[in-house]
Amino acid sequence: MSKSAADTQQNSSHLGEKKSLIGSLFAHQESGLVLVIILMMAMLTGYGMWSPIEQKTPIHLDDGATIVLLDSQGKTHENLARTQIAGYRVTLDGEITEYSSETIERYDSSSRTLFEVHAANRFLNKANLVQIAKNASFFAIMAVGMTGVIILAGIDLSVGSIYGLSAIVGAMAMNSLGTDASLLVSIPVGIGVCVVVGAMCGLFNGAMTVGFNVHPFVITLGMMATLRGLTVFLAQYFYDKQSIGNLPSTFQTGFIKAEFMGVYPVPIVFMILVTIGGWFVLSRTVFGRRIMAIGGNETAARYAGIPVGRVKILVYTITGALAGLSAAIYIGYLGSAETNAGNAYELQVIAATVIGGASLMGGRGTALGAVLGAIIIQLINNAMVILNVDPSVNQIVMGAAIVLAVIIDQTKQKLARRNA
Amino acid sequence: MNTRSTMLASTAALGLLAGTALVGCSKATESSDTATNDTSTADVTYTIAVIAKSNSNPPFLAAKTGAFDAGKRLSSELEGVTVQVNWQTPPQEDAQLQAQYVEQLVASGIDGIAISVSDANTLNGVLRDAVDKGVVVVTFDSDAPESGRMAYYGVDDKEAGRELMRQLAPMLDGNGTVAVLTGNPAASNLSARVEGVVEEADNFEGVNIKQVYSFMPETATEAVAKMQQVQIANPEINGWALVGGWPLYTDNALDGIHENAKVVSMDPLPLPIAYAQKGQVQVLVGQPYYGWGERSVEMIVDKLHFDKSPESELVFAQFDIVTSDNADEYLTKWEAWLKTD
Repeated sequence: MSKSAADTQQNSSHLGEKKSLIGSLFAHQESGLVLVIILMMAMLTGYGMWSPIEQKTPIHLDDGATIVLLDSQGKTHENLARTQIAGYRVTLDGEITEYSSETIERYDSSSRTLFEVHAANRFLNKANLVQIAKNASFFAIMAVGMTGVIILAGIDLSVGSIYGLSAIVGAMAMNSLGTDASLLVSIPVGIGVCVVVGAMCGLFNGAMTVGFNVHPFVITLGMMATLRGLTVFLAQYFYDKQSIGNLPSTFQTGFIKAEFMGVYPVPIVFMILVTIGGWFVLSRTVFGRRIMAIGGNETAARYAGIPVGRVKILVYTITGALAGLSAAIYIGYLGSAETNAGNAYELQVIAATVIGGASLMGGRGTALGAVLGAIIIQLINNAMVILNVDPSVNQIVMGAAIVLAVIIDQTKQKLARRNA
Repeated sequence: MNTRSTMLASTAALGLLAGTALVGCSKATESSDTATNDTSTADVTYTIAVIAKSNSNPPFLAAKTGAFDAGKRLSSELEGVTVQVNWQTPPQEDAQLQAQYVEQLVASGIDGIAISVSDANTLNGVLRDAVDKGVVVVTFDSDAPESGRMAYYGVDDKEAGRELMRQLAPMLDGNGTVAVLTGNPAASNLSARVEGVVEEADNFEGVNIKQVYSFMPETATEAVAKMQQVQIANPEINGWALVGGWPLYTDNALDGIHENAKVVSMDPLPLPIAYAQKGQVQVLVGQPYYGWGERSVEMIVDKLHFDKSPESELVFAQFDIVTSDNADEYLTKWEAWLKTD
């Protein structure tokens, strides 16, 4: 073979590799979701550039410092309307520092604080992006479990109530430890109690569904009401309150709400770990293959010797446990649990799963898709806040997104059948 | 590949559609929500978020109107100032969602937040973070005293309970057997009102509290059922103190009751006022629904613009007393408060 012919073959081989790389990139079920996220982020970043915000940094005055306000002629005042303030003069130990009103947004005499401002993108800033991912994490963790249920062609309407009950019981357990409990005690108790309560509820869902051969819609609907009632009853009976706080600070600021570079990323770490776990279980284990097989054709799976009942019970138990884990993160982040927690969250969790590409007919879905679905929902929520849209529109958009996701899924199925 | 392309194109279209719809909605909302003085050039814009408990309750819709009206008025009164009000309220009561709104609003550069706190334990931390970052926070209707907020505006719940009994007792002519109706017995605001009713009853000779009756869930149907059952089982009851207006959100809730008992209730909303007009409810004790929004925005602007805080952290409002005599007049107020423009 001549050198030029070999080069040509090598080049075409590289081209083929490139094509296959791009092809395999778009072959993934989640590529469409990633594209949506990129498009939405691009649009919101554009809006954020067009309409920037002023981020504030507090400058606390020392005890001995005095401050006067300067008008445009340089005269000093103790009080002035903000539009008349040209600057601020701070004196400490005879040393004078002057700040322009262009860099200082305002002075708060109650806390003796100057607030320095600098422009930032309304959307594309560290705090906002972490917010979106953090808010998504509560739903995404539950959605990974729900993906397994939906792949089985099942449904779990009780995840919101499991979340609420796990949170209340977890908060009761941690409240009993006292606010000074050590990290080594508060973390196992906080996470352990919530996860065990959630798993027990999920186990009950699965056992009832399989044992009585009843559609999970009915069982989990009943559980949704029962668990919510139990949540309210426990809080009232033992604490006579609607919410339970005073949890160990080690579980809050020491763990779940630990600050890192000005943000709170721990819930996001949990989301990533659960996503990796969900991906591994669904795509790399026998158990995952069995879930897919049952969802694809339950009768065939049964004839193939798959223990259908056991797999179903385990999937519902894992879903409950993940709802419990999400509840533990919620109480650790917000420092309390209230009886209304998780109310109607099943809608958002199912929406995330369906938007993420899981088929309600069973047999298809991915953990990563569910997480991306939850992120899309939070991007929509964030857009509502940034764009100052009436929150009622949120529900309309959310509902439309679910319907559109199902339509797209059905269209895709039809085209696939036609091509086959 | 065709399938994939279709999937990708459709999904992208979904995203773009949602995004475009949002931007479109945003422009429409902004044009109506931004309260700007047309004749002045704005040197400073204060963006204030109002977070109520739920998006469909008439009291909170009145608060919304009050907040927007205050924004418009202050924009025209203060030279070089634009006050923009941003309504961010969950569709139904959800403390976690309120907390998420607070965090997102702070990240998006909000100047002030007026909030009716669904659960103080849940909101304390995020409100404290907001205050630390220079956001002026005022609570209305329900407070979060440990959040570091600048002020609370609303009624004193215990005093509201006392007012109910002060209105009811004189109508019983020194011979009263009074039933108290409450919703969730664990709700702190309702507990305080019940406490006020019971304590005030001690000041009236011959007036006795039969019992405090609670019901769950807090729906009109449950409330009506509870009242009817209690009245049938205890015909000696000749006075009812309702610490919330739940049963009065239906028609004919007091059949078999109003003939035998005097009824006083919190919250003169449009439906309960119809009972006052019919003479079935003698007195309705109202909270400053419109003022929740109006005063909260005023206090935040005072702080942002003049660095002026209220004299006390607790700013208590007067009660509105509504009877058959002024029911029509009060209904006219509601028409203005519930305007949609």
